Amino acid sequence: MAPAQRCPLCRQTFFCGRGHVYSRKHQRQLKEALERLLPQVEAARKAIRAAQVERYVPEHERCCWCLCCGCEVREHLSHGNLTVLYGGLLEHLASPEHKKATNKFWWENKAEVQMKEKFLVTPQDYVRFKKSMVKGLDSYEEKEDEVIKEMAAQIREVEQSRQEVVRSVLEPQAVPDPEEGSSAPRSWKGMNSQVASSSQQPSNLDLPPAPELDWMEIGPSLTFIGHQDIPGVGNIHSGATPPWLIQDEYIGGNQEIGPSYEKFLKEKEKQKLKKLPPDRVGANFDHSSRTSAGWLPSFGRVWNNGRRWQSRHQFKTEAAAMKKQSHTEKS
Amino acid sequence: MSFLLPKLTSKKEVDQAIKSTAEKVLVLRFGRDEDPVCLQLDDILSKTSSAISKMAAIYLVDVDQTPVYTQYFDISYIPSTVFFFNGQHMKVDYGSPDHTKFVGSFKTKQDFIDLIEVIYRGAMRGKLIVQSPIDPKNIPKYDLLYQDI
Repeated sequence: MAPAQRCPLCRQTFFCGRGHVYSRKHQRQLKEALERLLPQVEAARKAIRAAQVERYVPEHERCCWCLCCGCEVREHLSHGNLTVLYGGLLEHLASPEHKKATNKFWWENKAEVQMKEKFLVTPQDYVRFKKSMVKGLDSYEEKEDEVIKEMAAQIREVEQSRQEVVRSVLEPQAVPDPEEGSSAPRSWKGMNSQVASSSQQPSNLDLPPAPELDWMEIGPSLTFIGHQDIPGVGNIHSGATPPWLIQDEYIGGNQEIGPSYEKFLKEKEKQKLKKLPPDRVGANFDHSSRTSAGWLPSFGRVWNNGRRWQSRHQFKTEAAAMKKQSHTEKS
Repeated sequence: MSFLLPKLTSKKEVDQAIKSTAEKVLVLRFGRDEDPVCLQLDDILSKTSSAISKMAAIYLVDVDQTPVYTQYFDISYIPSTVFFFNGQHMKVDYGSPDHTKFVGSFKTKQDFIDLIEVIYRGAMRGKLIVQSPIDPKNIPKYDLLYQDI
């Protein structure tokens, strides 16, 4: 038998020596692996003609596994904000090391020779790709500029409409004042003629300040509870001591925090009690309970008939009987 | 001898002693201070009281001053020693007819200490009746008076 060899494609050890490569299993594995790799390469090939440039997205960090070289290759080339799709893969496919590795792979695994060409990228192709990449970058920049301009125009429009709304609200207020009334339309017309940029500041200065407050209070109004401003005592902003740290006037004796010494000793006793066996006699006996004068402890009497707890009862009845007897004797 | 041990003179005091002794064997000697056997017993009790102070608390009760308990505990011979633990009465089988109390005096201090230890251990294990470790030869003999005869 031949020495043990590991086939990385099948991920198995075999003992057939050179014969393994021709086996059905190996060829099947080979076919599947190439099928997996082919779509990626095809997509990269398409990109040679028309390179696409896109805004950078974290997904562009993805790597592709090159079967022939046995290494991970970055699929897309990214620089700053932009990414060239399939740039990395193409770069790798065009490199001479990859060519050598592909040749070796084909020879060792006895794959179909025609397929080999598909997985290689000639240097000329790579140059073509670079040119199209440059073009792509330029067109991308143009597109971006256009988009920015569009957005700016939109913003201007929105601002305009807002100004109009404000003016329409102020018109009824400005009418009672005849002087303002005559000059105001003129200034507003002036405003209308000015488009975009400088519309903001002059309009704000023209309008009286009171309506601004009215406009701000539209909606549910809050209850005002008064200025919390006492001259002597400071507040949080001035850095005064917080109320919970101020000592009360009446300090009852000592200011000890926590349990007193007696309580502490009691706690110690309780801890000791916990350690005693729980099923000892009288574990649940309440030592501090107040009992009446006629209380009798639980005592198993000598001449009682029945259970221990009945002995007390029996004693009481006997005592009553004896009393009666003595009474009857007396009388 | 008897002046070294605490005395209880009324039912209330006895109740108090029973209720307040916690996690220790309560030894109540019922008898009279002048009685000779009582004196013997008291001697042994007082000499051992400090040694077993962590396990037991000993009190002397005069039978004439607490008639209720004298009847309730059925004390016909003195001295009689009754044992309690956490308010529960502990019975001991000495080999004598009456298990509810120890009648008479002990022969040696060691007998008494052994008895206390056995009672304590039994109580900790939840037993209400225990076997006495004292040699039956040393247990005083008496005849139990039958009731109503």
